[in-house]
Amino acid sequence: MTKYIIRRLLYMIPVLLGVSLIIFVLFNVVSGDPTAVLLGRHATARQMAELKEQLGLNKSLFLQYIDIVKSAFTFDFGHSWATKQEISKMIRQGAYPSLCLSVPAFIISTVISLFISVFVAYYRGKGIDLFVRVVCIAGMSISALAYILFFQWFFAYKLGWFEISGFEDGFPNFIPYIALPAIIWIVLSIGPDVRFFRTVILDEIYQDYVRTARSKGLSEMTILLHHVLRNAMIPIITYVVIQIPSLILGALLLENFFSIPGLGGMTLNALNSSDFPVMKAMAIISSVGYIIFGLISDILYTVADPRIKFK
Amino acid sequence: MTTPLLSVKDLVVEFQTGDGIVRAVNNVSFDIPIGKTIGIVGESGSGKSVTSLAVMGLLQKPAAVVPQGEILFNGVDLLKCSESKMRELRGNQISMIFQEPMTSLNPVFKVGEQIAEALRIHKNLSKKEAWEKAVHLMNQVGIPNPAISAHKFPHEMSGGQKQRVMIAMAISCEPKLLIADEPTTALDVTIQKQVLELLFKLQQEYHMSMMFITHDLGVIGDIADDVVVMYRSNVVEKNNAQNIFKSAMHPYTKGLLACRPKLGANPRRLLTVSDFMTEEGKEKVIPVDRVQVFDKETVADKTDHVLLEVKNLVTQFPIKGGLFGGTVDQFKAVNDVSFKIKKGKTFGLVGESGCGKTTLGRSILRLVEPAAGSIIYDGKDITHFKHEELRQLRKKMQIIFQDPYSSLNPRMTISDILMEPLVIHNEGGTKAQRFDMARALIEKVGLNSNQMNRYPHEFSGGQRQRICIARALMLRPEFVVCDESVSALDVSIQAQVLNLLLDLQEEFGLTYIFISHDLSVVNFIADEVGVMYAGKIIEMDKASNIYKNAKQDYTRALLSAIPKGETKQSMASLV
Amino acid sequence: MKSNSLWKDAFLRLSKDRLALVSLFIVLTYFIIAILSSFGLVASNWSQEVGASNLAPSLENLFGTDIFGRSVLLKVIRGTQVAMSVGVAASIIAIPIGVLLGAFAGYFGGWIDDFVTWLYTTFSSVPNIMLLISITLILGKGIVAVYIALGATSWVTLCRLIRGEVMKHKEREYVQAASAIGGGHLRKLFRHILPNVSHIIIINTSAQFQIAIKSEVILSYLGLGVQGEPSWGTMIDDAKLELVRGVWWQLAGATFAMFFILLAFNILSDALRDALDPKLKGK
Repeated sequence: MTKYIIRRLLYMIPVLLGVSLIIFVLFNVVSGDPTAVLLGRHATARQMAELKEQLGLNKSLFLQYIDIVKSAFTFDFGHSWATKQEISKMIRQGAYPSLCLSVPAFIISTVISLFISVFVAYYRGKGIDLFVRVVCIAGMSISALAYILFFQWFFAYKLGWFEISGFEDGFPNFIPYIALPAIIWIVLSIGPDVRFFRTVILDEIYQDYVRTARSKGLSEMTILLHHVLRNAMIPIITYVVIQIPSLILGALLLENFFSIPGLGGMTLNALNSSDFPVMKAMAIISSVGYIIFGLISDILYTVADPRIKFK
Repeated sequence: MTTPLLSVKDLVVEFQTGDGIVRAVNNVSFDIPIGKTIGIVGESGSGKSVTSLAVMGLLQKPAAVVPQGEILFNGVDLLKCSESKMRELRGNQISMIFQEPMTSLNPVFKVGEQIAEALRIHKNLSKKEAWEKAVHLMNQVGIPNPAISAHKFPHEMSGGQKQRVMIAMAISCEPKLLIADEPTTALDVTIQKQVLELLFKLQQEYHMSMMFITHDLGVIGDIADDVVVMYRSNVVEKNNAQNIFKSAMHPYTKGLLACRPKLGANPRRLLTVSDFMTEEGKEKVIPVDRVQVFDKETVADKTDHVLLEVKNLVTQFPIKGGLFGGTVDQFKAVNDVSFKIKKGKTFGLVGESGCGKTTLGRSILRLVEPAAGSIIYDGKDITHFKHEELRQLRKKMQIIFQDPYSSLNPRMTISDILMEPLVIHNEGGTKAQRFDMARALIEKVGLNSNQMNRYPHEFSGGQRQRICIARALMLRPEFVVCDESVSALDVSIQAQVLNLLLDLQEEFGLTYIFISHDLSVVNFIADEVGVMYAGKIIEMDKASNIYKNAKQDYTRALLSAIPKGETKQSMASLV
Repeated sequence: MKSNSLWKDAFLRLSKDRLALVSLFIVLTYFIIAILSSFGLVASNWSQEVGASNLAPSLENLFGTDIFGRSVLLKVIRGTQVAMSVGVAASIIAIPIGVLLGAFAGYFGGWIDDFVTWLYTTFSSVPNIMLLISITLILGKGIVAVYIALGATSWVTLCRLIRGEVMKHKEREYVQAASAIGGGHLRKLFRHILPNVSHIIIINTSAQFQIAIKSEVILSYLGLGVQGEPSWGTMIDDAKLELVRGVWWQLAGATFAMFFILLAFNILSDALRDALDPKLKGK
């Protein structure tokens, strides 16, 4: 097991190098000279040259690449071009509101989706199964933007049940602010989650060992909850764990609409002001998160499935 | 006459399919007395498995229409029972074991737990009590170190052991009836023998009735008291086991009995079911020359020409491990094998799963690269032939694989499949000429040439195997490897294909390597037999000799494990 | 009895599924509208004023007017062109890359496989949304940037799937048989294996189309997508301010238009998967 983990951790290095390369190519090579954008229309050549020096943009391309790689390992991203703040500090500040929204929303939506999937698997083929599937498919055919706009307008503005925007620190103060975005998140997630869980569970139900369990006289509910779920959990855990790193990024759109000062909103602000360092930092952070949680999910997979031997 | 334990009366089971309603079981009736074993024999599609599932109430509801007829268990009609009543009976009074031990156990639970499960439900035992009983049962079914093995997961056990676990599960609540659906078909023949002996022993101990389903008449002879023969959803014959071998009545039964290759008998060709019976089921008169006995020994060896010689062949596969997944060791699938085959002869290679026989066949054709040793074909060492020479060689050496379902490209028509070898080697002339060659061969293997624009999935297993044979012959090879080519076929189809292979060998002067796990089949078709075990050929002899004078213990174990269709008395004497 | 290839069988099965046929019809309708629009045959006059500003839907203007008095219906039709073109463009980029890389990786293994695996692992480590907004930002906004961004993110899933399937099929006996009769690598890969995995390309493309449409809407909303042309995303962006003033028809129009095409693709993907899955045929 330790050998497996070490090998996977080592594999992270070429992947991080690759991610740095992508970011490098995008932001340092293809993007051209950002100083014109930053200084505005009336920038003189001299001002641009000065700024270039300040921002370290006249270093050789190779050194610029190395900077990015370094930042991936040290998490020192320099300073924002727009706010001049230290980026790592911005990240720490922004993480808290993001997580206040994303963690509860994620947990609740996963649990609800599981319940619905098991229920629908038990009644497979019957009316309620069809109904749930139709609702899921229909739900997934509406843009996230439409949901956010409508819910915000209807529940917060028209009915006044929730805060329209903003954020307050501290539990339980932030609840009125994150409640509606969280609900929207849950509504958005249930469709794809239930589809996936249901497929996985049904795949297991048609396996031979389920027939054996029936031949022992077990009830359908016991078979589903005990035998099938235990097997279905293996791909489900993988699917769920992989989503965790995006919790840090928060829901970009939700934070934007509801003015929650989290990392998602921060990213969009950086987008609007061409604040490259912040965007690069967010890209790196989320990539590192994906890679680490990918590893965790693989390890959990090998733990959950006794058939897998570490190769 | 006491009332039978199970009485099936006029059972009808139908299925909804895309093509309408299909009747899988048609007015089937039979009885199972208390403490006796009924053997249900039939080939694929006969309806035998569906019958057993109907008894257990395990037919998949949406597809299966509610069965008609009666299934009386201790006087209660199972077809009219509620689901909860059926659940009380399942695993408790009626148990079932299935064919595929690999997939029939839940991979994420320990085997001890799975055995204990029925006990906890039906006998209300506590977790601890049930576990202890499970260990005790594992001992009873002959699993070594039961206390430790109970903690194992299914994938950590061999096929034979898994089947024993299934048996332990099934007998845990001391059922009155045990249904065994092809329980030994997926097992090696030596393991099969052990499992059959175990079932027999347990039946005696628990005074159980058993419904034993199989396609193998030999197995039936070893284990059943009465026999029911099914053909295309109908029961065609009912008899007791002693009589059925001596005086079968229905032509299908006679055909089924006759078409098995038997050790010691040396017919020129096997009789097939279609020799006994027309398509509609009427009896036919058997032409005399079909019953001719052929003595391989009396035919003088016409030639001394050695076509293939294998010398010290080694084929290995890397075992990965270590920090970076590098190769830590080599698994020698073929470990120093040597033999010779003369032109026009058949070399039979027999062994159980994992012995390396398939790898050997593929190594000879260099579909898998050997690591050491040499292969000398027609005097030339082909072991190190390069790309172009190898390509030329492909015209002379061909292979027919085991699985008729995956050895044909599902997206190509039969004519395309057959013409492809000609296209690759740029032979056969124009497209029309190639098509003619393909057509000639298709007819030679017994198929209708107007089906050549069809796709593989439209043919049966036996027909697909014939197509594979035709494909192998398109380039007029001299040498053909038959890698378990009949193992996936029903017994009656197997006989037809074996006859075809012999006919073709005579007509085209072919040399065969015939690989199989079935010693009776190999013995029938081969001139010389090599027994393979753990990568080595441990015994090699003339086919006519090997069953009489087997020298190695392993060979003798293989021979004695073959179900010979002896009656149950001989089994009883073993227990 | 006429012979049926697996494709034909799939087609027959599909044609019995009425829901799938309706979905197919909807998809085709959208395509036709998009093509007509791109040739200027319909909705080319979308930018004209047709009435007063922010008129509610009526018989004259089925979807009402926007703040400039333009017909929302015409804008929706124009937006259809954008949406469908995005799906097509993303597929045109993603399919060759994904299939070729996946096929070579799965078939040849070795360092080619290592490289391709590293490549798609790297790409999939960056969250899609980050990659999309970064690429469109850098490439200077506009529809072409969106095409490229979507192409760059959608090849990954296809590559993974194809690689897995090719690896499986490589070991199948019909491919070994092709070796035995003397076939070389190219023949085995292109004549034998790829036709047997091509159903995956179809199913995956259908699924990716939905993602492409949804992504374009978000990118356009963020101001990164089409400039100067109406798209469903920009309409939703407008709707943000309009909603408080009670103007709901731009949001409704865009959402409805999206709803039907996404629903149709969704149903079609499922139906295609059921129809094309060769596991359900054969034995």
